[in-house]
Amino acid sequence: MSGLALRNVSKRFGDTPVLDDVSLEIGADELLVVLGPSGCGKSTLLRAIAGLETIDEGQILIDGVRVDRLAPGKRGVAMVFQSYALYPHMSVRENMAFGLINIGTARAEIDRRIAQAAKMLEMEHLLGRRPSELSGGQRQRVAIGRAIVKEPKVFMFDEPLSNLDAALRSRTRQEIAGLHRRIRTAMIFVTHDQTEAMSLADRIVVMNQRRIEQIGTPLEIYASPATEFVATFVGSPAMNILPVAQATADGAFLRVALGDGTQLETSLPASAIKDGALRLGLRPEAVRLCAPGAGDTNATVEFVEFLGDKTHVHLALSRGDRVVALAAAPCTARPGDETGLVLDAAAGHLFGSDGRNLKAAPA
Amino acid sequence: MGQTRHGPGRIAATAALALAALIMAAPLLWTLLLSLKSNAELLRGTGTAFAPPYTLQNYADIFGHSAVFGWLLNSAIVSLGVTFGVLALSSLAGYGFARLRFPGRDVIFILVLFGLAIPEQSVIIARHQMFSALSLHNTYGGLIFPGLAAPFGVFLMTQYFRAMPKELEEAAWLDGASRFRTFWKILLPLSLPAQATLGIFTFLATWNDYWWPLISATNSDMYTLTVGVASSQMNFAQTNGLGFLMAQAVFASVPILIVYVIFQRYIVAGVSRAAA
Repeated sequence: MSGLALRNVSKRFGDTPVLDDVSLEIGADELLVVLGPSGCGKSTLLRAIAGLETIDEGQILIDGVRVDRLAPGKRGVAMVFQSYALYPHMSVRENMAFGLINIGTARAEIDRRIAQAAKMLEMEHLLGRRPSELSGGQRQRVAIGRAIVKEPKVFMFDEPLSNLDAALRSRTRQEIAGLHRRIRTAMIFVTHDQTEAMSLADRIVVMNQRRIEQIGTPLEIYASPATEFVATFVGSPAMNILPVAQATADGAFLRVALGDGTQLETSLPASAIKDGALRLGLRPEAVRLCAPGAGDTNATVEFVEFLGDKTHVHLALSRGDRVVALAAAPCTARPGDETGLVLDAAAGHLFGSDGRNLKAAPA
Repeated sequence: MGQTRHGPGRIAATAALALAALIMAAPLLWTLLLSLKSNAELLRGTGTAFAPPYTLQNYADIFGHSAVFGWLLNSAIVSLGVTFGVLALSSLAGYGFARLRFPGRDVIFILVLFGLAIPEQSVIIARHQMFSALSLHNTYGGLIFPGLAAPFGVFLMTQYFRAMPKELEEAAWLDGASRFRTFWKILLPLSLPAQATLGIFTFLATWNDYWWPLISATNSDMYTLTVGVASSQMNFAQTNGLGFLMAQAVFASVPILIVYVIFQRYIVAGVSRAAA
């Protein structure tokens, strides 16, 4: 196949496993975002693909050719580092030319590729400068340019936006998306920022504790999280998780009772009932405020976050469980107010004791 | 702002620094002054140095004394040989200790550091015998080789390479560079400040070294400048003339002064780095 494939890749640092049986495929023109918390193994995964880390088990293939025993420079990959890693003693032009000179590219071809990339990234005026004479955004652009001129089969980005301020991060995100549309090459983008993941990705790989938790489109990841980890890691504010005291299978759908006795009907078939502790996951948009006594249960307002176009209302249920509701702005709720809550369990998720979503297809 | 620039504290500090500078410079200025006096006048007493007439005859005599240029050349060959040798070996060893993983690396590095604690005096007899057995005395090799063992240089370059971001090296590998090309084209140019510091201190130490050349270079053709100048005063100054001796001392310091003037930025940075 064209593109990149990882087959059962595992890696250990001494006795500590850092990648555990990771398999995935990336299309030749796909932008795949690897999302996960610090230490989950996402950067190691990227470095293993690049050849900067050896793998202990499994195979890495690019365009159907096994590359996991090749030197980094022979794999046909290019990487934009978090720190950009521009050569400080070289001009922008020399930075971009270095990789091409190493593989014996003709001078005229080097000049052509640099001119083309510089035009694409609107940085022709920067070619004679040293990295120390560039702003953070310009360095970022040069790092991307250095990758582009190599015309790699796979582009890799290791948290490239984390050193930029919020405004520049948003702009650079759009530029990377635009760049991908123009050059249509396989791209892997590693981040712990879900906004970057959701806005850039064709598909997202969510990693946790060395393993892949779920692979899917941004919508699939958000709307149908495979595990409780994915459900709580993706989305801001995080999905509300409430312990289920009892689940009953009377009627067509599964009914659950919360700790305070609140009865809710889910959209899961009654046959989905499962042994062990269950937890109900509700996105903030599935929790709505109403008059006291008019909803499924009552709660006390603890904290109100006004965010301009919307408001997050932090609430305490009677048995101490806490939920966040998404309310329209303006919202009249004040800390200490008693309010009613409608809990849309049909839009929610049920997680078993193994953390898997009962709604999701078996992994 | 004006108060800070011209206040009493500032004036006192400037005066104190000027006095310290004068104390430091006084022997050098005294040497320069004596070198400009005739030997006959100086025989009457060095107090005559403060009054004219002054003469450049002592410097003219140096140029007429062919051995001095030979000593100067020897010093230049030995100092540059040691300096470039130390830079090459320390850089390679420093890179190896900082970036390569090989069995016994840490133990070997500690052994190298032990070299910092061993005084030259404790090994001089063994070294003398070894060089004698190898017939290296009175050769440039005999004068250069001992200086190449530079544990401080290895330590300095190791620390410098360790502090360099690993991503630079990795970016070069992804750019298709071999390990040596990465070292040569990326890491070595970036280590220039450390190289300059190490090079300057090595050059100065070798240029000023007196003891080992005194032992190893017994043939006057192989004298370095320090040994040669010292040999001129073996029968005390009056024999050859105090003024001539001082002129030789000034002449011997000129290359060092040039090095200081050109590289003073690196010397200050190097001292700061060593202090840190």
